[in-house]
Amino acid sequence: MPVPVSAPASSARLLLVRVEDRPGILQRVTNCVSRRGHQLLSCAVAAGPEEGELRLWLRVHTGMQPPEQAALQLRKLIDVVAVEDLTESGVREWTLGLFEFLAPFARELETELERWGAQVVERTPERLVAALGGPPASLDAARTELAGLGLGDFARGRPIALHPVVPQEA
Amino acid sequence: MSTFPAFRPDHRKQPELEVVPARSGAEVLLSALVGQGVDTVFGIPGGANLPIYRHLPQFPIRHVLVRHEQGAAHMADGYARASGRVGVCIATSGPGALNLVTGLATAHFDSVPVVALTGQVASPTIGTDAFQESDVIGSCLSVTKHSYQLRDPGEIEEVVAEAFHVARTGRPGAVLIDIPKDVQQAHLGDDRPLRRIRRHAAPAPAPEQQIEAAAGYLSGARRLVILAGRGVAIAGAQEALLKLALKLDAPVGTTLLGTGVFPNPHPLGLGLVGFMGTGYCNRAVTDCDLLLMVGMRADDRVTCRLDGFAPRAEHIIHVNIDPAELGKTVAADCPIVGDARDVLERLAAQAEPGSRPEWREQVDDWRRQHPLRHPRNGRLQPQEVLRAYYARRRPADITVADVGLNQMWAATGWSGGESGLFLNSGGQGTMGFALPAAIGAQAAAPGSRVFAICGEGGLVMTVQELATAVEAGLPVKVLILNNRQLGMVRQFQDDFYGGVRSQVDHTVTPDFPTLAQAFGCYGEAVDELAEVGPALDRAIAHPGPAVLEFRIDPEAGIFPIVPLGGTLSEFVECPYP
Ligand SMILES: Cc1ncc(C[n+]2csc(CCOP(=O)(O)OP(=O)(O)O)c2C)c(N)n1
Ligand SMILES: [Mg+2]
Repeated sequence: MPVPVSAPASSARLLLVRVEDRPGILQRVTNCVSRRGHQLLSCAVAAGPEEGELRLWLRVHTGMQPPEQAALQLRKLIDVVAVEDLTESGVREWTLGLFEFLAPFARELETELERWGAQVVERTPERLVAALGGPPASLDAARTELAGLGLGDFARGRPIALHPVVPQEA
Repeated sequence: MSTFPAFRPDHRKQPELEVVPARSGAEVLLSALVGQGVDTVFGIPGGANLPIYRHLPQFPIRHVLVRHEQGAAHMADGYARASGRVGVCIATSGPGALNLVTGLATAHFDSVPVVALTGQVASPTIGTDAFQESDVIGSCLSVTKHSYQLRDPGEIEEVVAEAFHVARTGRPGAVLIDIPKDVQQAHLGDDRPLRRIRRHAAPAPAPEQQIEAAAGYLSGARRLVILAGRGVAIAGAQEALLKLALKLDAPVGTTLLGTGVFPNPHPLGLGLVGFMGTGYCNRAVTDCDLLLMVGMRADDRVTCRLDGFAPRAEHIIHVNIDPAELGKTVAADCPIVGDARDVLERLAAQAEPGSRPEWREQVDDWRRQHPLRHPRNGRLQPQEVLRAYYARRRPADITVADVGLNQMWAATGWSGGESGLFLNSGGQGTMGFALPAAIGAQAAAPGSRVFAICGEGGLVMTVQELATAVEAGLPVKVLILNNRQLGMVRQFQDDFYGGVRSQVDHTVTPDFPTLAQAFGCYGEAVDELAEVGPALDRAIAHPGPAVLEFRIDPEAGIFPIVPLGGTLSEFVECPYP
């Protein structure tokens, strides 16, 4: 039964985009997303999977357009090799946080960092920087708790995820 | 018209002896164009593309010197629409390149394969705000299918090959190649590694199950309507469309861009669908139980309010070569990604032949209830002019419409028996399109008669290209429907903005016959219906470009029209008998 497409409730999608690593590729991808009426919330970039390619993880607010349009339009770009919508794939998103603490350091700082599983990546008399990887929500929780221990700057990367394993047919 | 005798080569100062590299980037570019089958380009030289023009005379390419780069882009567009081949335009950097933008957008939105070549400042100066530098790649990102900025002369051949491939493959579109001046001038070594051209393939043929399912729906439908768009023209599927319609006994409407793909008048022809479509077509779409949309996007001008678009359809089959068009506005339960011709031919082979006398009778009833009407008040009506024009149409003629009421009158009045080429700017609605596009079409089809139907407002946006037509010997005929106003805007103000006419009157318009003559064209003005036919015949008989100004009823409007925000069935008809 045909139903006219109505403006859907806006939704956030996580798209994994494989692109050829060509000049201007980020501009093309971000232009495509915004021109189609979606809002780009974040973008993480990494090399691979093939030589000469990049992987981009785009978090996109699809606004008033049908949510699948973002991936369909991106697929039309000549430099785009593949687009996968990871939103409902069940894959775990992962992100990296960097936590800065300035001297004088709280007594329980090191134990707390250890409890969170964070790794100290820089230590000088003036400051300590710890790195912690995890799902976005757990990094947010760590940030809230560590705030009381003299947290200075905090930087969190944008989520990345590996694409899901498709179960093999028996 | 004033003409200046061209300097003969022997009058010119002989060039200083210069050392020309054996094969410069410019030469490689030009020979790559020849390799792609390019025989005509439209452009204007300037500082950043002079190395190309330095070598152009050595190559078997006709260059049409335009008067404004927007004209070059529209000409390349008209050339491509008329021939099915890739149209090519050339501009210098900065203002030249930016003047192409509207023309590229116009082509791209109507899926026309155009390749634009722009000169760019030399690579080391890019980013320094050098003289006539502009970020044309950035400016054109959203109006091109793809773009390239050449940094290495070794890439020229493969980039040209890839650009043409991208422009014409799958859903066609505009492609831009920006070429810094130093790349045009660079000398090429012989040991260039040729890299692969990337794959950009048209979608695979639609799976058989989809065709079977669609053919089943078509065979079972009682109230069937087919809507066809420009995709049918791009795929050369006009015959397949007619065959399927006849086999299924199905009425066929067309979108604005699809005008001409189905013969009119024809017992199955419904004419234009949508915002300014015929009443009988819009009623048929509203009442159908099955809608087949082929080679069209279903944009807001076609659907009007979405919940009133084919509300009784039990099935919607939507065929488009671009997967992103399926489900973008109308959710079809039977979406098919594929080439219009392939799909229509396979559907015609599989669908059960049928006749639908009750449905046909109903559609004919609507035809009688909602005929296209116009006032008869003693003033020259645009529909009368177009009737005389279409009565003279031959199948190979090319009609190019501008934008505004003139375009809608020309599309709704489309007639002349067989299907044929009707070109217009549907996606962008670019005023000023018709004259340059007609010149481009004429360059592509020298054996065809090419007519540009314009309003007086749109024509003056690109009227300078009359000089191009005369100079290049391209005998286009321009028919101006002069209502001395921005007619379509005036009608919108009357109908939808409280009747406040604001900035729509052209109290000053040129004396068009004199203007035409000033450019070296034939020119004539017509006020009386009795003079329309004879004037058309005189313009057609004139061997060169001709301009006819028809001084029409300034109050003439387009009817029926769907009120803004209304559904297809809520169309308003001509208030005059
Ligand atoms: C470049 C451009 N500017 C503005 C418009 C908006 N517009 C659409 S139709 C129209 C009026 C066109 O007037 P005219 O060319 O005289 O044609 P008419 O409608 O009178 O037949 C205008 C201004 C447009 N489509 N394109
Ligand atoms: Mg007008």
